[in-house]
Amino acid sequence: MMLARVADSLYWLGRYIERAEHLSRLSSVMLNATLDQTESGAQAVLIALAAVGEPGDGAGVASYEAARALVLNRQDPNSVVSSLARARENARQVRDQITTEAWERLNLLYLKVTDPQAGKEFKDASSTFLHDVIADLHLFKGAADTTMSHGESWRFMMLGIHMERAQLVSRLLEVCFAKTPADRQVDDHVALVSVLRMACALEPYLRVYTAEIEPRHILEFLVFDEDFPRSIRFATAQIEQHLAALARRVSAGERAGPERLAGRLKARLEYADVDELEAVGAGPLLTTVVNECARIHEAIYETFVAYPLEMRLPA
Amino acid sequence: MAAKTQTLEGAPTLPMTEAAYLPGVAYDEMFTPQGDVRRHYDPLHARMSTLGAEELAGRQRTLERSFLLQGITFTVYGAENTTERIIPTDLFPRIIPAAEWSKIEAGLTQRLQALNLFLADIYGDQQILMDGVVPRELVLGAPSYRREMQHLYVPHKAYANVCGSDLIRQQNGEFAVLEDNLRVPSGVSYMLANRDAAKRTFPGTYRAAGVRPVERYPDLLLSTLKSMAAGWRAEPQVVVLTPGVYNSAYYEHAYLARLMGVPLVEGRDLVVHENMVHMRTTTGLRRVDVIYRRVDDDFIDPLTFRRDSSLGAAGLFNAYRAGNVVICNAPGTGVADDKAVYAYVPDIIRYYLDQDPILPNIETFLCREPRQLQHVLGNLDKYVVKAVGASGGYGMLVGPHASQKERDDFAKAIKADPENYIAQPTIQLSTAPCLIDGRIEPRHVDLRPFILSGEKTIVTPGALTRVALKRGSLVVNSSQGGGSKDTWVLAEENGHAHGNGVGQGSARS
Repeated sequence: MMLARVADSLYWLGRYIERAEHLSRLSSVMLNATLDQTESGAQAVLIALAAVGEPGDGAGVASYEAARALVLNRQDPNSVVSSLARARENARQVRDQITTEAWERLNLLYLKVTDPQAGKEFKDASSTFLHDVIADLHLFKGAADTTMSHGESWRFMMLGIHMERAQLVSRLLEVCFAKTPADRQVDDHVALVSVLRMACALEPYLRVYTAEIEPRHILEFLVFDEDFPRSIRFATAQIEQHLAALARRVSAGERAGPERLAGRLKARLEYADVDELEAVGAGPLLTTVVNECARIHEAIYETFVAYPLEMRLPA
Repeated sequence: MAAKTQTLEGAPTLPMTEAAYLPGVAYDEMFTPQGDVRRHYDPLHARMSTLGAEELAGRQRTLERSFLLQGITFTVYGAENTTERIIPTDLFPRIIPAAEWSKIEAGLTQRLQALNLFLADIYGDQQILMDGVVPRELVLGAPSYRREMQHLYVPHKAYANVCGSDLIRQQNGEFAVLEDNLRVPSGVSYMLANRDAAKRTFPGTYRAAGVRPVERYPDLLLSTLKSMAAGWRAEPQVVVLTPGVYNSAYYEHAYLARLMGVPLVEGRDLVVHENMVHMRTTTGLRRVDVIYRRVDDDFIDPLTFRRDSSLGAAGLFNAYRAGNVVICNAPGTGVADDKAVYAYVPDIIRYYLDQDPILPNIETFLCREPRQLQHVLGNLDKYVVKAVGASGGYGMLVGPHASQKERDDFAKAIKADPENYIAQPTIQLSTAPCLIDGRIEPRHVDLRPFILSGEKTIVTPGALTRVALKRGSLVVNSSQGGGSKDTWVLAEENGHAHGNGVGQGSARS
């Protein structure tokens, strides 16, 4: 039994955590790529900026400033610090639902990125700063995993994490590979490695495909891999699994619940393959993923949070 | 490890302060006026003397950091911006010997029993008003009096289920009641957090002293709340109602809900249907039986009280009237902790219990009485004048510390609305040693114990000791720059005062 408002907060807590981690990683890769004064480096920067929705014009992108703003700008609702502030705000709203161990990790991280010294720390050693933010987020997830009961609270948070992840990875792949064959796709080796790093996928990728960095393999890995936790298929399977468990507790009506939408998306990804993607381009499938995620999101609200009261009055 | 010899050399009473600890005229919790250490403070004093300034500062930092990390913060309104701060916490516990505590315990139990009987009476047949013990208009005209509560059944006559009375120790060493808080008293989470911190800061001293535990408070609170619905529900669903995350005491609301294992709800989570209260869960509506509300009377139900409130639930009060839910504390308890009614509490105790009050009141002048008003106006430089309806240290004149202009302005305000003011002599709160900027100095403290009342009345053996951190200041409210410290109630008189750290636990509890 859990309050609807609490479920909502936990779901958003998960989403903001995942968003903060993804943004930190994009910034980190972007800063790293600029160390090489090459065409490839500039391409990586453009990919990162496009993936967060910044219109990079390519000409003289001051990537340090861009990264700094992406991480520390409190005015920008999509920065790392804003995402962490919202995650923490949501956690505070449901402070009674998460363990002290998990809360302390998040609160500590929040205090770190909002500290007046944070700007200086970022300036002095941005890669260390970002590395630590990502590591702290992993600690939070680890603390949540090992200390919280894997019941409803935890499931709503995990649902948020995987919903966000599926959409962020889709967005990243759209930026790199969704264009029609006529457009120039990303094929530069350095840029492709950067893409893998942005998805935290380089090492797991190498173990499967060795150091042959091919767009086709990257797509296959990040969309269809069954075991890699940041592939779209994996995230979708997680979404389906958590929703199925959550929906069991709701006395189901005739609605097409979110678990059915998730199940359908999961099946779609299980039975598609990379040849199909190459034939028509990755665009349509990635668009489907993003749209379906939006529908699942709405269905979650209708089922668990903002349901009409008439249907749930006690007999 | 080399000892910090410079702090031990010469060994005055408290080495690191270089004998600068000057308690002044007030009663000091640690030292007698002759400068001897009170026996129940011996173990702590000994420990303090062996720790150097750096060591103490380090422990203080660890303590503050752990509070910040846990999010034990409160919100300060006003000034330029609203910020979240930790309530400053002092690492030295305040120690109360067993005999003193048993008097406090008896006094508070007596007082709360009388006040609950008083509430049951004025919301019932009003016998005490008819007998002229308390002026009728004082009660019925008070803004905190709730006509809606008239003739409403409250189980066990327990109107105030949670009470946090403010006590002070006077110059003669006796405790007296300064204020009863019967509405939505807060601070109990600090009592628990301070205890947790003190155990880590002075583990050996804690063990040796034989301190009574406070950790049972959450489950005692839960059983108190459940006892309010036990008559009609076998397993009552209890919830904590909070105004939300922006409330200054939100941390405490979440803390209590977490430790009781009950949902923390906001008004928007509640739905009243056919006079039953439900909460919106992910799996549909679920019945609520007991609401421990941390929302003021005015805001709990826009249909009955303030219409512009979005913090409560529409229809809640009707459900309460219908006996389908219990609201704790009951609405309308504020009339019994009104600063003007306060003056009558000793009479109230005599009236209902036929006993003399165990804990005295502070002498109080009611400006509503013309003769007392004249006396107060003529002696404004001697008195503390308080607005009856205000709390938190606002709307208050501390005569001896105010300028002539402030006193003149306040006199005008009093004359304009005498019924709204009471005056009390300036009382020297007792002092206790605190770590201030690396030195041990005396600061004024009060004492807020917490009393639970349902089927039974229970005084938790501990309290929040609030500290006025500014030198010489008597204002301990956290909104006015106050801090807090842990309070150790000893299990046995001088139990281990001379034991040098023998590792036996609390003697009995």
